[in-house]
Amino acid sequence: MAEKILKKDDIGRLYSELEKEYKFYAPTKVKGNIAFKKISNAEEIELEYLNSKVPPKDVLFPQKETIFEYRYEGKDVIIEERKDLEDKLLIFGVRLCDAYSFKLLEDFFASGDFQDDIFLKKRENATIIGIGCNSPRQSCFCTSVGGHPFQKESTDVFLSDLGDTYLVEAISEKGESLLKKLSWLTDAKKADLTKSKELAKQAEEALTTKFDFDLVTKVLDENFEHPVWQEISESCIGCSSCTFLCPTCTCFDVIDENDEYNNRGRRIRIWDTCQSCLYTLETSGHNPRPAKIQRCRNRIMHKFSYYPSNYDCLGCVGCGRCITACPVNNELRLIIDKILEIEEKSGEKVSA
Amino acid sequence: MVKFMGLETENKEIENNLREIARELLKEKKVDVIIGYKKGTLPLLSQPIIIDSEEDIDKLIWNNLCYVNLAKYLVPRVPRFVDPEKGNLTVGVVSKGCVGRALIHLASENKINLDEIKIIGIPCNGVVNRQRIEMEIGEKEILEVSVLGNNIIVKGKNFEKEFPFDEYMNDLCKVCKIRKPPLVSKVPDLCVGECEEYSNIVDEFTDIEEFDSKTPKEKWQHISEALSVCTRCYACREACPMCYCNLCFVDQNKPVWFGKTTDLPDIIVYHLIRAMHMAGRCVACGACSLVCPMGIDLNIINRKLEKIVKERFDFTSGLDPDALPPMVNFKMEDAQEFMLEED
Amino acid sequence: MTEPIVETKQSENKEWEPKIIAFLCNWCSYAGADLAGVSRIQYPSNIRIVRVPCSGRINAYFIIKSLTDGWDGVIVSGCHPGDCHYISGNLVARRRFAILKELLEFFGIEAGRINFMWASAAEGERFAVLVRKATEIVKKLGPNTKFDKKW
Repeated sequence: MAEKILKKDDIGRLYSELEKEYKFYAPTKVKGNIAFKKISNAEEIELEYLNSKVPPKDVLFPQKETIFEYRYEGKDVIIEERKDLEDKLLIFGVRLCDAYSFKLLEDFFASGDFQDDIFLKKRENATIIGIGCNSPRQSCFCTSVGGHPFQKESTDVFLSDLGDTYLVEAISEKGESLLKKLSWLTDAKKADLTKSKELAKQAEEALTTKFDFDLVTKVLDENFEHPVWQEISESCIGCSSCTFLCPTCTCFDVIDENDEYNNRGRRIRIWDTCQSCLYTLETSGHNPRPAKIQRCRNRIMHKFSYYPSNYDCLGCVGCGRCITACPVNNELRLIIDKILEIEEKSGEKVSA
Repeated sequence: MVKFMGLETENKEIENNLREIARELLKEKKVDVIIGYKKGTLPLLSQPIIIDSEEDIDKLIWNNLCYVNLAKYLVPRVPRFVDPEKGNLTVGVVSKGCVGRALIHLASENKINLDEIKIIGIPCNGVVNRQRIEMEIGEKEILEVSVLGNNIIVKGKNFEKEFPFDEYMNDLCKVCKIRKPPLVSKVPDLCVGECEEYSNIVDEFTDIEEFDSKTPKEKWQHISEALSVCTRCYACREACPMCYCNLCFVDQNKPVWFGKTTDLPDIIVYHLIRAMHMAGRCVACGACSLVCPMGIDLNIINRKLEKIVKERFDFTSGLDPDALPPMVNFKMEDAQEFMLEED
Repeated sequence: MTEPIVETKQSENKEWEPKIIAFLCNWCSYAGADLAGVSRIQYPSNIRIVRVPCSGRINAYFIIKSLTDGWDGVIVSGCHPGDCHYISGNLVARRRFAILKELLEFFGIEAGRINFMWASAAEGERFAVLVRKATEIVKKLGPNTKFDKKW
């Protein structure tokens, strides 16, 4: 299908035509931060943004989610499954790193013997409209993890910001059928395509942070007990900003909420984090990860060592949220540098 | 406040003095390690650093972005502060007023032995409210932040903006009366560098008058709106030097006291009880607000606590290591106007 | 499985009555309530009593948990200052109550939902009067909805 052009003024039209069919999620300003919310007005959409504070994984895997509800009728317990899973979702204006995170989440929730029906169902019903990232931040490093500021593959429809207009490309079948509904879009000219390619190139060049993650994975595998972890975890205060704002973190905790006065209850899941001491605490009182050093190490190992061996890809999309969120500036770039230093030092020893 | 010189010269002077003292302490083996601040890799941040050799001393800095309360690293001690053979090491702590207060208050709770630390006092000139600046800049990337004269200059791609420091200071710093760490008469050589003796702290609490005069409905609206974005990551708790419990009340699960979800009632209850636990202990460092990833301003709650404690129990935390904290203490004549009485 | 609690909310046509949880000190107020009972002094049936060893036993958790669980009001009653069975439990508690009450007010939550009082074992009449008063206050505030969760 040929590429189309969407005028910036026509976003409202696009919204009003699609919101009837889809639950329309878009970046919008909430208390000074960008967040993906179900919007009720096209004017709420903020497409000129760096990236959202809380990643859009929040739409498919919200911080608090009901698994099922139950109620008593006499002595019977009646379980009510979720009914809203068939709703069609549209996630509009997602940055490409976050769009790629949906693939990682899907890999995780679909792997093994137990499929996570809630997430997978929602993912199946979600259409993702990604938007190219014209000016990546200093803390971004998506090209190092196999991404790109204009990586189209993980979206259904891809937009690139050309100034006054957006270049619209359908990537998947879902995207094509969505674009068919918007027959009023004009065809793109050749110049638009070249401009988009140019912007992609500029964006790639703007990314200054680069890592060799193959090497990182190798070093990590060999240095589980290395003293460098002590150094890395030293200034960490154990807040969970990095994991709560991470687009690929998937851990959750299951809780039952009882509303006994109304004879009902629900089972919910909420985000959990490996940075909390409670995360690994066993009923016996034993805690296999009792100190910050183990918890810090787990986060890094999980993303850059366990993910490659379990899913054959890195568990990081390079959005840089953990870098900007860390209140004590114990950030990923420094951690990676320290890890790579091990390799350099051991190299020196051998050559000496 | 009248400033005779620009902030950058003031900071430079503090920094130079600080390095000199630190060098001397390490040289004369009065301390084993020093914890201080180092330049951050992001424009609005600084980074805590632990140094034990004289070579690294030039990494120590002081600027208006040093907002982490370093007392946090002493309770419990990070592994670097404990020697496997010698036991607890003597730690020099680069202390602005609130860090010094935190250390002294923790000593009053028997969490710190003042003989094992040295307070390297610096005359703090306030820290920047980084969240407020970030929000006002909005969706543009901040690349460089510098302090010049009385302004904070924020630079990025295609923009430059000036913020008057006096206004964009953290709210608690604006009303801070204890800029240098307090002197402790019992341990005279505890403090090196600039410290001060405080006798009677007078505070009018004019900054929260406006909020206090609101109707309950307005208060609820303000508080519930501000807290509604809380993600329950507990960064506020983890950054707080006074939060050292092994198991926080929200994490307790035998029994489960309060919900762990991000529903508004659960969020409110968390912040309410956390505030309750801070009564008479908060040292007004503002770290909780400054580390919040969602930029929630908790300062106003802390100020209210300070006010209640000052007015009811005439107590200022972190001045005297021998003073009994007000919540474990009592006086027969404590005000009880809130108790129900017969007409 | 335990029997589901079948206590239903007040039907709409009746006048709304608040439900109040009362934490009473074993040594004074609990005996005071008892005295009110045996002396046939009427006091509102809105309160449900929990006996505690001392008002100093009252953690702020108890009070806030009661509110989140849907109680419309909380009463804490202990011995008069100086009369504490454990010498100073009530005096330490008093400081706690002061802070809690002011904080609730600051958060915009109706501070009238929590009421503190002193009533000795000999003051059955006073206990009844104060419970009546507290019930009036809570009744005026209406149902406690600030802590209701969305379903």
